[in-house]
Amino acid sequence: MSHLDNPFSKPSGEKVTCLEMLQVILDGEATEEQHLYFKKHMDACMPCYKSFELDMQIRQLIKSKCCGGQVPDDLVERIKSQVNSIS
Amino acid sequence: MEGSSRSHYSEKEKLNVFNNEFLPHINSMYNFGYRLTLDEDDAKDLVQDTYMKAYRFIESFQKGTNAKAWLFRILKNSFINDYRKKSKEPNKVDYQEVESYYNSDDVDRQITTDLRVEALQNMIGDEISNALNALDVDFRTVIILADLEGFKYDEMAKILDIPIGTVRSRLHRARNLLKDKLSEYAKKMGYKNA
Repeated sequence: MSHLDNPFSKPSGEKVTCLEMLQVILDGEATEEQHLYFKKHMDACMPCYKSFELDMQIRQLIKSKCCGGQVPDDLVERIKSQVNSIS
Repeated sequence: MEGSSRSHYSEKEKLNVFNNEFLPHINSMYNFGYRLTLDEDDAKDLVQDTYMKAYRFIESFQKGTNAKAWLFRILKNSFINDYRKKSKEPNKVDYQEVESYYNSDDVDRQITTDLRVEALQNMIGDEISNALNALDVDFRTVIILADLEGFKYDEMAKILDIPIGTVRSRLHRARNLLKDKLSEYAKKMGYKNA
């Protein structure tokens, strides 16, 4: 597959790096076409595959461990009563 | 807040928008507040202040637009104006220094990072949470917005008042810094080459 078929290609025609493709994917900005291309690319590119796995693992950890805690019980009530007092 | 297109709401509509469009984001708002201030009481006050401001300025919120992004923007601004000076900043680093360091040739090293998935799998909640909290607040913020809350570049640009290109590069640097922190923890846990 030549880089001309690469849906990540820049308008300038400059070649995209693995890192740049990976970031578009990780940042949730990739199109469906780019997702498919990257998936295929990872089959042949071990560093990309490893980086992708690592980044996804970190994200999953953050999601499960840093969505931190319950909102304090009284907070919503405090906010509601303050709003009612000024409305 | 942009004043070009203000909506007019009756008192009843105001409460309606507040209860149905603003309050459902309380969990994300509290978590964002906590991750910024690193203090439960400060987070509560910050979230409460934010909701009061949102109510007071409700006419600059346009129905049908992204309430969550609008609220996050108010919270971020309140944090900068009222809390940033007094918040606990562990390992406060010089932002400029970090920025220029990560603008150097080092930016491409992520692909060869030596942190390994196996090391992460043995981490419990505290390490990842501490690693995130140890990042400078600007880097911490983009990780929270992108990876926890799923905001897109254009939404983050509006929330943070920075260009999309800066969002992209800051996020990239934040991920590298987070990996550095995690790598330190992994080494402490005895993972060689972690």
